Amino acid sequence: MKNKDISIYIHIPFCEQKCNYCAFNSFCASDEIKEKYINLLCDEIRRRKCDKVVRTIYIGGGTPSVLTGEQIKKIVGTLFENFDVYEDAEFTIEANPNSITEQLLQTWKSLRINRLSIGVQSLNDKTLKKIGRLHNKKMALEKIKLARKYFDNVSADLIVGLENESGKDLCGYAKQLLALGVKHISCYLLEVYENTKIFQMTKEGKYKPLDDDQTIQAFNKLSNYLCDNGMERYEISNFAFPGYESRHNLNYWARGEYLGFGLSAHSFVGGKRFKNSESLKDYELGKIEEEILTNQEQIEEIIMLGLRCNSGVDLLEVKKLGYDLTKNSYFDEYIAKGILMQNGEKVFLNPIFYHISNTVIANLFQ
Amino acid sequence: MKDLSLIRNFCIIAHIDHGKSTLADRLIEMTGTVSKRDMQSQILDSMDLEREKGITIKLAPTRLIYDYEEKEYTLNLIDTPGHVDFTYEVSRSLAACEGAILLVDASQGVEAQTLANTYLALDNNLETVPVINKIDLPSARVEEVKLEIEDVIGFDAEDCPCISAKEGTNIDQVLKAIITKIPAPVGDETKPLKALIFDSHYDNFKGAICLIRVFDGTVKAGDRILMMQTGKVFEVTEVGIFVPNTKQVESLSAGDVGYIAASIKTISDVKVGDTVTFADNPIDAPLAGYKEVQPVVYCGIFPVDGAKYYELKDGLEKLKLNDASLHFTPEVSSALGYGFRCGFLGLLHLEIITERLEREFNLDIITTAPSVSYHVYKTNGEMLEISNPSNLPPAVEIDRIEEPIVKVNIFTPPEFVGTIMDLCQDKRGIYKDMQYLDKKRVELKYTLPLGEIIYDFFDNLKSRTKGYASFDYELAGFEPADLVRVDLMLNGEKCDALSLIVHKDKAYTRGRELAERLKKIIPRQLFEVPIQACIGNKIIARETISAMRKDVLAKCYGGDITRKRKLLEKQKEGKKRMRKIGSVEIPSEAFMSILKLDDEK
Repeated sequence: MKNKDISIYIHIPFCEQKCNYCAFNSFCASDEIKEKYINLLCDEIRRRKCDKVVRTIYIGGGTPSVLTGEQIKKIVGTLFENFDVYEDAEFTIEANPNSITEQLLQTWKSLRINRLSIGVQSLNDKTLKKIGRLHNKKMALEKIKLARKYFDNVSADLIVGLENESGKDLCGYAKQLLALGVKHISCYLLEVYENTKIFQMTKEGKYKPLDDDQTIQAFNKLSNYLCDNGMERYEISNFAFPGYESRHNLNYWARGEYLGFGLSAHSFVGGKRFKNSESLKDYELGKIEEEILTNQEQIEEIIMLGLRCNSGVDLLEVKKLGYDLTKNSYFDEYIAKGILMQNGEKVFLNPIFYHISNTVIANLFQ
Repeated sequence: MKDLSLIRNFCIIAHIDHGKSTLADRLIEMTGTVSKRDMQSQILDSMDLEREKGITIKLAPTRLIYDYEEKEYTLNLIDTPGHVDFTYEVSRSLAACEGAILLVDASQGVEAQTLANTYLALDNNLETVPVINKIDLPSARVEEVKLEIEDVIGFDAEDCPCISAKEGTNIDQVLKAIITKIPAPVGDETKPLKALIFDSHYDNFKGAICLIRVFDGTVKAGDRILMMQTGKVFEVTEVGIFVPNTKQVESLSAGDVGYIAASIKTISDVKVGDTVTFADNPIDAPLAGYKEVQPVVYCGIFPVDGAKYYELKDGLEKLKLNDASLHFTPEVSSALGYGFRCGFLGLLHLEIITERLEREFNLDIITTAPSVSYHVYKTNGEMLEISNPSNLPPAVEIDRIEEPIVKVNIFTPPEFVGTIMDLCQDKRGIYKDMQYLDKKRVELKYTLPLGEIIYDFFDNLKSRTKGYASFDYELAGFEPADLVRVDLMLNGEKCDALSLIVHKDKAYTRGRELAERLKKIIPRQLFEVPIQACIGNKIIARETISAMRKDVLAKCYGGDITRKRKLLEKQKEGKKRMRKIGSVEIPSEAFMSILKLDDEK
């Protein structure tokens, strides 16, 4: 990676309907607001033009697939007018099965988009309905098949921990996804946040997520299945066939620079982290939160992000910042118990302990 | 020359909640000592904690001026704590007075501490004036209570003042009784100084302040004084009185109650109960009744953050100044590091001290389960006093262990006698006597091991009798008992801070309960953690904390690294309240959990 390289994230905060588990900054909006937002977004892209060269682009949300072909064209057009983009740049768009159409797929393809991340979540109709998704199993499989006509690099998201979804069920979904030629699968654990519908439902006893033991059991089963079928778990939640890892996400974890455009988007440039405002009104005013990382915060980031990935933490990198990780009071114990693995100057979290990474990482902080 | 006949030194004694502090407030108000505007309910209870708990912990004297039959009287009121834990402090302030108001609740009547405090007053030769309070209550039974006072205590209560301190009814009768019934002090202000320290506290500017009652002589700034117990000599920098805030005066002389400041830096030089005299012209013998107070309950206190050891030490030293009965010695625990073994007068005292350490000194502390002090006789004839269970020698070296025994008096309505007997039986009590005081009141006498009382006896008694029973106890020596130490092992490692000494017959149950409780309190760890309770090498109970399953943030939304980092930092911060035993992390509350064993039943 060259110093001039950068990644770009574009946030589309709109959805047709909010999912019951979603605590993210997304909402339903009128066409008028969408138009206005796209104009603001394009203004921001123009305003933040710089001479970096773009290696990866990621249009995420929300649901970017709710935008019309024309709207996407406008955004991508503005981006290409203002930034140099590598010929082989990875260019992802997130989509929900129900909003995928052949026409949109063609438009995306024509805009140099080359990777699709589809929010499948489950392939059980009852589950999908309960968590507020707008698609069913049949539609999901059909749309993936259609997408595969235009795109080689298709990724699917699955959620682990949903009511009645055992490891066996999840392996079944994975089998069907792999059969359709999906190259990358993200497996997220259900997190029940307080400001979600599912939290309310759980409180009222109308929804019963798996307990921790069941969730991890299911996750491990799914993880084993994917690895047995040729995928690699290159990060806590991400599985891919060799060569199909998400370069955009890898850049986050390697602490590479990125610009985020749009509502509540995050950027990391010149050692500073920025966050655009979460409210449309303040975003319009260009309000930004800025954070200059202290030495200790940089160390924490390196440890936290490195241990998420199969690339591990570089001991020399943290040592340069003045922290000898091997002197941490937990380090030897973790090595002895096989929680951490060391190879020269690299330290890895043993994947069988990924599900308790928070404890390990927090203890390894200075 | 001052007219001693115009001075009265008195205190108010009562069972807890019978309205002592409220009466004190009314007296202050009636005599115009504090304007109504500045009046704050329970004005003498200066600590926040006292107001919150509605009890008096620390004594605060005040000078009241009252005109009676055209003469101006100076009434020195010494407020006293009502709880059984503070018997010695009560006895010292009683020794500073000539008389006592015995306050009895008109609906509850004579209670265990009414009697205990009356005996203390009689021991100190005080003229005791009964007063019946709370006559405004619908449940007031004034005439019956009068009879109770006459039958149970043996005082003439026929003409005693019947008041409502809350509503201010008949307070003048109390003032009249103080002046007419309580004798004036006697003393000679020309003699060498003889004064009693009945309390002390620390002032950052003036050093240790001694609260004194002068019996003979006169003391003023510039005098060189001698503390007769400690042998220390100081030069008086200031003398004053309480109105109820401190007010500097020229001198204090025979009959007066006030304070002395003498730039006393070492707080242990001021001992409650000590006698103050002139260094150059001392009296022959100190006042009688001084004793080094002996703690009855012990526990370990450790800083959560090991680096705060010296702050903890400083806090304890400052509290000790106000509180002669607090004892502490350094202690090292393999589980908790450096801290102190502290001795208290009782559980309430323990609770107050730990809360004050946290509030007034901003310390995070870990307290271990309370224990009593055992006499351990070794086979080689040596006797050890053991208050820390982990110091108990190996069983083979022990000939016998003796535990402290208390005599307990319980006052209860008759319908609860059965359940109280069950409770006492369960706590290894021995029945001594039972008497019907009247139709509604029974006095039960038992002897019980103190170690059983400090667990949950009081709470249990209250809940079994809906709060109607009261109890009081006094130490009654040591008796041999079949005691063993139960140790707790976490992941195979013994945790010294969790050991306890219990009767052999209860060891199995206690061990099992403790293991179960720890299982609930200790969060899941990276690995499975066995919890074992054992006596010596014999395991009597086992529980297992299964390994932590899920503690992960799966998704980093759109490059929001900061949110995740902050979450982990918070998690790290939370770890500071944990203690590590081997590789097991234990929350600091776990160490107190032994105490609360019975709560959940």
